[in-house]
Amino acid sequence: MSRRPEAPPRGARTHRTRSSSRFRGWLRHHRAMALDSSWRLLRAPFDSLVTMLAIAIALVLPAALWLTLDSARLLDSELTESATLTVYLEHRVDEAQAARIEEALAAREGVARTRLITAAEGMAEFQHSLGLADALGRLEENPLPASVVVSPADPAPAAVRALAAELESVTGVDEVRLDLAWIERLRHLAELGRRVALALGVLFGGGVLLVVGNTIRLAVENRRREIEVVTLIGATHAFVRRPFLYSGAWYGLGGGLMAWGLLTLGSEWLAAPVAALAASYGASFSLPQLGAVGSVTLVGCSILLGWLGAWIAVSRHLAQVKPR
Amino acid sequence: MIVFEHVGKRYGGRFEALANLDFRVRRGEMVFLTGHSGAGKSSLLRLIMRLERPSRGRILVAGHDIGRLHPSQVPFYRRQIGVVFQDHQLLHDRSIFHNVALPLEIQGVEPREAARRVRAALDKVGLLYREKALPIELSGGEQQRVGIARAVVNKPALLLADEPTGNLDPQLSADIMGLFEDFNRIGTTVMIASHDLALIARLRHRILRLRDGRLVADQEAA
Repeated sequence: MSRRPEAPPRGARTHRTRSSSRFRGWLRHHRAMALDSSWRLLRAPFDSLVTMLAIAIALVLPAALWLTLDSARLLDSELTESATLTVYLEHRVDEAQAARIEEALAAREGVARTRLITAAEGMAEFQHSLGLADALGRLEENPLPASVVVSPADPAPAAVRALAAELESVTGVDEVRLDLAWIERLRHLAELGRRVALALGVLFGGGVLLVVGNTIRLAVENRRREIEVVTLIGATHAFVRRPFLYSGAWYGLGGGLMAWGLLTLGSEWLAAPVAALAASYGASFSLPQLGAVGSVTLVGCSILLGWLGAWIAVSRHLAQVKPR
Repeated sequence: MIVFEHVGKRYGGRFEALANLDFRVRRGEMVFLTGHSGAGKSSLLRLIMRLERPSRGRILVAGHDIGRLHPSQVPFYRRQIGVVFQDHQLLHDRSIFHNVALPLEIQGVEPREAARRVRAALDKVGLLYREKALPIELSGGEQQRVGIARAVVNKPALLLADEPTGNLDPQLSADIMGLFEDFNRIGTTVMIASHDLALIARLRHRILRLRDGRLVADQEAA
């Protein structure tokens, strides 16, 4: 319906100013609603905090699990790096021959480094690590063979296995041992953990949607009349949704920051016992930190979930008031 | 301005609220819609506001078939119609000023321009001095005038009113009708649903009479 059908065609300039003023109006409403919704949150601080805390708790568990797995992955790559083959030489091989065999092995393709452990060195190491110096000292002859520790160039399990088979056929080599089994096991565990974390993440993310959705549903219920009135006088769905989407995003932001705080506190709290435990294994291992990227991702996901939860809640309401 | 072509409206497939309505309202006309409660006055207005769609026939408003408006265009269509409700539909947590400003806020009108237009509308209905009050502090007649100010703040080409004098005494009712006549005088098409027959008869405008959802009389302005 135009009130002046005979109006002259508008120039491009007037058109531009009109659309830019519309854009400014749109921006103004965004600003107003962002402020208005945060003001509403602040006016009911206890309720807002409870909602945010519920979001935070729902986010902490999957995030913590993910972090743990991340550190397991770090550990895994370190282990893979240190995957080695132990090549046991035959008993009759003397030290000079052992050195030659080591050189031959080192020259092979696929071998990165080698280290020769003579029978005597092997014995000394064995005695030291087991504390059986006395018992072993009584032996007349060294029962241990010389061995060569081989670091493969390619740490992938399949490549390491192939290399082992190859090395077994070298003359003077008695047996090749590779300690891949437990690395494999760790890897399976990590994969299992990752899937559990993902499933939990999806479940708890759904939980966040429900928490925010329910809170916003109540807010919509409280402002039902207002929605009716503004719809009657020409408000678009986007206009009606806007304040609620901002509320949802604020809840998400608050929940995300709280989750971040809980995770930081938790890792502080666990740092000392973890360090002590690691030290008792002669390793240095510290709990992983979220880091800048992790923190932004956590809070970002939380905001997104809050926004989405609100969107679903308001859209459901709007769908109910469609004209017949 | 408004054209009804064989318009019918059924609810739930059985109850026939409106049947075979055929009439047109010219631009700049003032029309009363009368009939007993349940005759279909409100349903007719709801159809024009596109709160509902006709089950049969077409409705043209300013040349557009509003039954075929895409849902996303409906808000923009509604912005061009001013509506006055029997129960005012004011928001009780906002001042009179902000209630009247609501349509402009929805359209993203620049605040200074909006304030100027809100004050002009409030001045027109004689309530400029109450702009800071809350709706609850006003009498029924004053609230209705705020509702009218909100309906015209946009300078709509079409003004609809559903029983605007429903709960008012005769003197206040006459005042409110006078306001509508003022807006009609400056070119606004006005359609008012009312069952206050005595008052309507005195005003000498065109009257559409509904009975059981049918148009039973179309009495031209005297």
